[in-house]
Amino acid sequence: MSRRPESVFLGAIPPALVLCAWGVSVLTDYDVVADVDPSRAGLGPSPALPFGTDHMGRDVFWRTVTASEAFVGPALVACAVALAIAVPLGALAGYSGGTTARAVRYLFDVVASVPRFVLVLLACMIYGSDPLVLATAAGASYAPGLGQAVYARLEALRGAEFVLAARAHGLSDARILGRHLLWVNCRRLVGRHLLYLFGFFLILETTLSYIGGFGIEEPQPSWGNMLAFEFGQHGMNPLATLVPAAAIWLTVLGTVIVADALAEPGDV
Amino acid sequence: MSEAIETTRNLARDRAVSSLAIQIGFRAGWFALTLLGAAFLVEVLLWASPGDPIDLLPNGEDLRPLLEREWGLDLPLAARFLRFVGRALQGDLGTSLTVHPGTPVRELVVDAWIRSMGLLVPSLLASLATALALAWWTAGTPSKLRGLVQVVSVAPVFLFAYLLVVGINDATFALLEGGYIDRPDWFALPDQPSWVRTALAIAAMAIGSGCLTELHAGSENELVQIRTSGFIDAVRARGGPAAPHVLPNLVAPLATLAAGRVGFLVGGLVVVEKVLLLNGAGALMWDACLKRDYPLAMGLAIAAAAIVALANLVGDLVRFSVDPRLRRRP
Amino acid sequence: MYDADYIAVDSLTVRAGEAVLVQDLSLRVNAGEIVALVGESGSGKTLTARSFLGLVRARPGVVAGHVTVAVGTELVRPHECTDDGDREAAFDRIRGRLVGYLPQDALGWLDPLWTIGRQVDEVVALASRGSSDRSVPGQQGAFHWLRLAGFSRPERIVSLYPHELSGGMAQRACIALALARGSRFLLADEPTTGLDPTVQQGILRQVLALKKRNIGILFITHDLRVVHRVADEVIVLKDGQVVDRFAGSSLGDARHPVTTRLLKATVRISGGPL
Repeated sequence: MSRRPESVFLGAIPPALVLCAWGVSVLTDYDVVADVDPSRAGLGPSPALPFGTDHMGRDVFWRTVTASEAFVGPALVACAVALAIAVPLGALAGYSGGTTARAVRYLFDVVASVPRFVLVLLACMIYGSDPLVLATAAGASYAPGLGQAVYARLEALRGAEFVLAARAHGLSDARILGRHLLWVNCRRLVGRHLLYLFGFFLILETTLSYIGGFGIEEPQPSWGNMLAFEFGQHGMNPLATLVPAAAIWLTVLGTVIVADALAEPGDV
Repeated sequence: MSEAIETTRNLARDRAVSSLAIQIGFRAGWFALTLLGAAFLVEVLLWASPGDPIDLLPNGEDLRPLLEREWGLDLPLAARFLRFVGRALQGDLGTSLTVHPGTPVRELVVDAWIRSMGLLVPSLLASLATALALAWWTAGTPSKLRGLVQVVSVAPVFLFAYLLVVGINDATFALLEGGYIDRPDWFALPDQPSWVRTALAIAAMAIGSGCLTELHAGSENELVQIRTSGFIDAVRARGGPAAPHVLPNLVAPLATLAAGRVGFLVGGLVVVEKVLLLNGAGALMWDACLKRDYPLAMGLAIAAAAIVALANLVGDLVRFSVDPRLRRRP
Repeated sequence: MYDADYIAVDSLTVRAGEAVLVQDLSLRVNAGEIVALVGESGSGKTLTARSFLGLVRARPGVVAGHVTVAVGTELVRPHECTDDGDREAAFDRIRGRLVGYLPQDALGWLDPLWTIGRQVDEVVALASRGSSDRSVPGQQGAFHWLRLAGFSRPERIVSLYPHELSGGMAQRACIALALARGSRFLLADEPTTGLDPTVQQGILRQVLALKKRNIGILFITHDLRVVHRVADEVIVLKDGQVVDRFAGSSLGDARHPVTTRLLKATVRISGGPL
């Protein structure tokens, strides 16, 4: 996608809306049980019901907004987990080089060889499927990608002149690494990968909720289980299907567009 | 999102050893080592959990003595792992607990993955072919196509499958209601295997979750790089056809790109088999995880890791066989 | 029909946006003649050579001027074609068939996945394709062209891959490729730049051998020493304009300031008079 400011701005809208929805949802109370009202099933949009109702009479708009709680919080946790694992390890490998680097790269390769979804499923099987487990598993499965990227960037910079100059000035290794290398040179890279992780987590959560078993269970709303719920209900209120589908699609698209805009020349 | 490409580039930068046989051996060794690591990871995941995994089983208490003996819970972790590896090398991956009680895991895993290959390989090829065709057409020219591909391809695999199914179902329903057509065999997705569902699965996997975008962008970049290289300039200056030079030079980078996608495709497989009610390793994996069939789930997961690592190995081998620069003559 | 074969360019002007890269340049190379085009980097030498083949890539580029190629009974003047397609077809008749190109980066000019033998064979096959409309002095195989390029043992070269060649060998391979379609003219773009002095000598000897076979050569270089030994005519370029033009043998006489400067610079590097 072009990196024109207009596209990036447009792309930033869905994730921004999601964050607003999250804030609204956290602050308000949506009673998932009381909302059921079969008498108003399958209604189209109206001023009182902006997206109409699903086939059990529940307000699609509020369910869509509340569903953001299903993934935003855990996605942020997943980002923190990935950050905590990948950056120290990648930095260690990139800065020391040699056997340490090879060992770290081996570790990353091993974790990366198990497909992320499979890893998350295994974690759910063993540790149960609450959001914290999901977040940790997702973050851990994403860490190798982020770690490899940080490692590659640091390795390229290891012999750079400004590093030698900083050492000659007597700056400690920690300061060089922390401030000059990681913060100045890697933050866009890290930000980009974390945005991809956010999008991945959304996909993960909605997929699990759609298929059922792991993920968010009824009556708690998730865009995934909203889709599953309306499956097979021919033509009552198309918005009940289209809105969650569009929400997923646009949010992932927006996240990817913004993340791509952070790419630097020469990035993989 | 392209860790595999970066890893492969790093590997290529490392000093190559002298003969092709040794190089293949080296790559195969890395493959085995990675697989071992993946198996260890999966084992550790299970045994390092705080609670007692047997507690979570539906009939755990009855089977406790049997399981404790079979899984060697009295042994330390390292010994348990070595025992697992020893048995695995002899083909014994344990027995299924809950999904198909009593059946050896190896049988189930091999059968399921063979079935799933019939989904994985066509999806990879379809995606690669589509991406290459699109890239051949638009590479190097400013085109909206890359953006369009990304917008379409970004949808998660399950959403793709879902919308395809809903779309087809609703359209067919409307046509039926209007009396235009008779009820087709595949309508409302019955439980028998159907080519429609397989086709939808392949489409969803080939396009969804950014698969097509990555392959398209990658193909475009490689194509531009080759088309602007010196030897293509040379061919043009001599007035010859460029395609016989462009295509062979594409094989190596495309192999790397394709190998890098396999991990994502396996993830997509797991989802799409469940959504479209297909019978393969993905659907089996879900069942195993939902019913807490530890040996089966672990066997399937390790097989998945093996397939990903094998794909990378094959990609490396293709690169070696095609590019004479990577083979040093003794 | 014509006294001698020749290639010529008249009033060549190349613009890229606002910048004028080549201004009103005219030159002519007769068969068996070596014309040297000398100048610093960026003076428009490569652009001039590429314009003979219609391969100028200036974007947005405007190329004005006339290219004439006269070989045997063929006279090709692409700029007289009004239709873009016809012009392209005219250039296609020139490319490789009548005029060959020798690049600066010899190694990058060779397909890394094909053996040298296969690449020369490909060009030879191209030559046999259009042989019905032109009198070709018999089909020559790859070995002939490799020998012409200076390889004493071509059988050793044909199975090598480009990355297995030294710089000088790669340059010779490119010579073979440039001539294998039977071209009577060669555009040599800095063929000796970046090579060891001994290897440079070898390439220069090869160029002189080609001249003996009546092949006309446009020799592009920034090194006046080289030119002194081979050129019949020397043209000096600065910023896309011809500033000096003289016979190769009269290099030592007083010249345009640019030429003198180039001469002085060369002498200083080599540490002694020419």
